[in-house]
Amino acid sequence: MDPIYEQIKDLLEKGETLAVATVVSTRGSTPREVGAKMAVTAWGEILGTIGGGCGEADVRREAIEVIRTRKPKMIRVDLLDDISSDSPAVCGGIMNVFIDPWWKGDEGAHGENESAD
Amino acid sequence: MKGLMERMNPLIDELVRVNEERAAAVLVTVVDIQGARAVKAGAKCLVRDGKIQAGDLGHPPLAEAVLMEADRRLREGKSKLVALELPASGEKAEVYFDVMLAPPRLVVVGAGHIAVPLVKFAKQMDFQVTVIDDRIQYANRDRFPDADDIVAGDMAEALREMPITPWTYIVLITRGHKYDEPCLREVIHSSAKYIGMIGSKRRVKACFHRFREEEKIAEEIIAKVFAPIGLDISAETPEEIALAILAEVIKVRRGGKAESLSGR
Repeated sequence: MDPIYEQIKDLLEKGETLAVATVVSTRGSTPREVGAKMAVTAWGEILGTIGGGCGEADVRREAIEVIRTRKPKMIRVDLLDDISSDSPAVCGGIMNVFIDPWWKGDEGAHGENESAD
Repeated sequence: MKGLMERMNPLIDELVRVNEERAAAVLVTVVDIQGARAVKAGAKCLVRDGKIQAGDLGHPPLAEAVLMEADRRLREGKSKLVALELPASGEKAEVYFDVMLAPPRLVVVGAGHIAVPLVKFAKQMDFQVTVIDDRIQYANRDRFPDADDIVAGDMAEALREMPITPWTYIVLITRGHKYDEPCLREVIHSSAKYIGMIGSKRRVKACFHRFREEEKIAEEIIAKVFAPIGLDISAETPEEIALAILAEVIKVRRGGKAESLSGR
């Protein structure tokens, strides 16, 4: 059960467009499991987590782009090449993260919602 | 199509409701699709109780495949990215199923001396617990302070009206076979994860015989019932029997191997 939806609802009702990033598949050792979610606002605020330092900054950056274009995107977060960085969150796996824009009035069928573009 | 969508509650409202009700549901998101012009990546719907409750994929054959897969995901209890292929059109879609699981529910039918410790133990193991008895002097808050729901009324009728899901565990421990049997008849064809019924080996055998001969209930349906109820730990007191019953419920929930009194 995920309290994040309550917060998403509040923001959508204020008319904000959000990006919801969900870990949809993983390989190797990753900080969070499939299903982990975070929502990002147009200002880059974050609700929830998909694993802290491990790739979260990349996801946040992409999420802001998704909000701007209102086009979803799948990104691959590679945690293997982080070894040399001084980030404390070296995990060594790969996460595929789907980033999806949500806004009020959008009922999922993006295909029927051309006016929103 | 448009009119239908307007009547539907927004997806987010339904998601919040699923959370509040701690219901089982699957949020389905199309991540990638080839060939189908009507659907774009990001199309979503919420599947609950085998139906699309909110959102719209705008593509009936895809929706049909999604409903079937959502059911499988729910049973497995795991979120997953799945490659779906629509046999009629050859269209291929990558679809993510986000599984929200309901907490397991234990339904205790019969509020006698075993039910009291049983409810207490089950509440410590994160079960939602419902107690049913037709005697108000047993089915009440004083006797079951921890129960989530208490139903005082006809037991078989209460079971008939209750939603029974693959997360429901049913324990039939009424004051006699006269009551256990109609209750069992009510739930034996349900999707409950577990059905256990108290009774001596002889009584249970007689009951199953009647089910087979008079009601033509199939052997594999009867074989799902754990009766006599409980794990074989030579339990004697009501508390010990409650423990044996709950241990059997946990065995079924987690897929354990300890031996049951029913020989399974």
